[in-house]
Amino acid sequence: MKLLLTSIFLSLLLFASDSSDKLRVKILETIFSEITIDEKLRVWSDNKNILSEIREHDKFETATSCNSANIIILEYKENLQESCSSKCIFVLKYNLLSDIEHSFGALFWKKGRPNIVILEPRVKSQSIIITKDLEPYLEDKVW
Amino acid sequence: MVKKRELFLFLALLILGIFFIYVYGYIKQAQQDIFSRVETNKMQQIAYLFQNIEKDIMLDNNIKDTKGLVALLSDENVRKKYEKNLSLLITPSIKYIYLLVKDERGRFRFLLDASKSDKAHFYQKFDVENQKYQDLYNTKSKQVIRQENMENLFLTFLYPIKNNGEVIGVLSVDITTKIKKIVSELIQPLETFFIILIIFIFLLMIMTIVQVFHYFITKKKIFTDSLTQLYNRNYLQEITPMLNIEHYAIAMLDLDRFKVINDNYGHKTGDFILAQSAKIIKSSIRGSDILIRYGGEEFLLFIYNRKVNDVTAEICERIRENIHAHTFSYDTHDIKMQVSIGVHENPSYEKSLKEAVKIADKMLYIAKKEGRNRVVYYNEKIKSSNISKSKDIDFVKQALEENRVICHYQPIYDHINNEILKYEALVRIIDHDGKIISPIFFMPELKHTNIHYKLTQKILSTVFNRFKNSKESVSININFFDLTNSDIETTITDNFIANPNLASRVTFEILESDEIDDMKLFKDKIKLLRLFKTNISIDDFGSGYSNFKTIIDIEANFLKIDGSLIKNIDINDKDFKVIKSIIHFAKEANMKTVAEFVHSKSVYDKLLELDIDYMQGYYIAKPEAELINKKELFKKTFS
Repeated sequence: MKLLLTSIFLSLLLFASDSSDKLRVKILETIFSEITIDEKLRVWSDNKNILSEIREHDKFETATSCNSANIIILEYKENLQESCSSKCIFVLKYNLLSDIEHSFGALFWKKGRPNIVILEPRVKSQSIIITKDLEPYLEDKVW
Repeated sequence: MVKKRELFLFLALLILGIFFIYVYGYIKQAQQDIFSRVETNKMQQIAYLFQNIEKDIMLDNNIKDTKGLVALLSDENVRKKYEKNLSLLITPSIKYIYLLVKDERGRFRFLLDASKSDKAHFYQKFDVENQKYQDLYNTKSKQVIRQENMENLFLTFLYPIKNNGEVIGVLSVDITTKIKKIVSELIQPLETFFIILIIFIFLLMIMTIVQVFHYFITKKKIFTDSLTQLYNRNYLQEITPMLNIEHYAIAMLDLDRFKVINDNYGHKTGDFILAQSAKIIKSSIRGSDILIRYGGEEFLLFIYNRKVNDVTAEICERIRENIHAHTFSYDTHDIKMQVSIGVHENPSYEKSLKEAVKIADKMLYIAKKEGRNRVVYYNEKIKSSNISKSKDIDFVKQALEENRVICHYQPIYDHINNEILKYEALVRIIDHDGKIISPIFFMPELKHTNIHYKLTQKILSTVFNRFKNSKESVSININFFDLTNSDIETTITDNFIANPNLASRVTFEILESDEIDDMKLFKDKIKLLRLFKTNISIDDFGSGYSNFKTIIDIEANFLKIDGSLIKNIDINDKDFKVIKSIIHFAKEANMKTVAEFVHSKSVYDKLLELDIDYMQGYYIAKPEAELINKKELFKKTFS
């Protein structure tokens, strides 16, 4: 846990001057490296900057559409195609956790600080395995 | 001595640099001070307000612990009421205000959030990393977090809500302020200015150090003789004003017959011997002594003798012995050298260092005259005999202008016929006090100067005038350089042409020790004199570097044996043998022999024994302004 928190915090320090998207990608990549699904992660995002950044880093495979991805980073609900709504969805706003029932986690800024929430029931229902480092971010429900 | 200007500049820059660094530090401190005051002021205000809110929540609702607090605020209406109260605190600078509690897993959760933007849900998790949140629980006191990396946040103030000394919640306020930014922006140009100024001063200091360093390098080159690695005369000039001459004795050293080395073995060998000699001399002195290459093969030595007696003689003798004992091996040659040393042990008695050096030089001259390879000290005896009182060029120049240059004449005695063969003309100058000054006091100064030639011309004119109408013969001392001077040559030829009977009664005594650079020219000049039937005598034979072939080639009429060999002939068997050989050689070469420095009867008798041709000296007669006759000879002895 400490490792993840420290890396997030360090990312915050190191990339404070980076654009918000770059910083978000750093944290997202750290989170995704701690989760496992049935197949190799193929990421798609409605935020083109985030997607292109992930592609550039080459840590995760990216998809050109949500249909060919197995994990979706979503910033806006309206960008989610119905055909993709059943996929693993990681949202970038806390409220989207309520709005999108299939979303299993969120990375968002609260009072100027990065916050992570992983919803335990949804993780289990989607057979997503998370490491111990993500446990501090587990929540039973969306408050 | 470091250039004062550079040193001053360096110190000024250093002081200026320190001043600007201080000012820069002061500005930074002032900036921190402003922030600190703003911070303290804000915190105090908020702390008062939070105190009231804490009382309001805790006392009104009888809250005992975190659970009680959570239970109370689970009611939306209650939350709204307190959030409304808290929102009254929201100002442009207070961005977020909220109440946090720690859940059973130690995670922070929102209970109240009065923020107008980015409002959190009830019991939403709040990821905080800063240690101060934990510190608040540990210390149970207020905490301030200075937000360095949070965009738009300046400070976070944490206020503990306590019950019975236990923290049950945290009232938190995030303060955003532009003051820090404004102050920073205002001070930034000033900071930049001072940073640039400090860098500039630093660069100037480096430049000054480089310049001083360069100065020392150049100075070393200027003050060091490249061949011997000793100090040179520039250094002497540099230290003269600072040198306390009372602590030193002065010694003037000169390698004997050094020119012969250059002539016979080449200049490379000469340079090698000079460098080696410098090393030997340096190894013979102490660190406190100062050795200077004064010029050519001459060295000036300052012997430190403060608090120590008799070191001067010890050091000088050590130098002389070390040089004498050393064999200089260069190429295939093994060369022996000697050094003559003139010493002034109390230079501070003189008017100036220059005068003291002159006296040491005079002692060196005496050392050379007395046979070289010796140390001559300036002492009371020499002082009282006026030997050291050297006269400079101006003295001679003035004497020439004021017609105070005269000649004394010393007879050269023909003991076989009991006749005066001729008289040797010896130059004298009458000083302003009427005293007669011997050439030893002024001749060394004149060597190779124009005044020397003028003096020779004057002597020639005086002697020629004195003898042109008489029957007596005369000897005149002349050196190679005089012979090559066109004015002197004209004086001689004009006089001989005008007085045909004079030339045959004149003998030119040419110093054997003189350095004859151009042998062909020398022989040509001798031939010219011979055309007038002038006699030629080799002077001071045995004291210089004899070249028998040259002596034979020029067919000299007389060979005058050097006084240093004659004076001890009665007591020194070696000298006796040398003179015997010279006389033998002269007879074989068809030359008449003349012995000078005949100062006693015993010397006179020894010379008779050796069958010398002619004799000259104080025993026979001393030099006089007027020509003395035969009857006046040996007067001193007989009287």
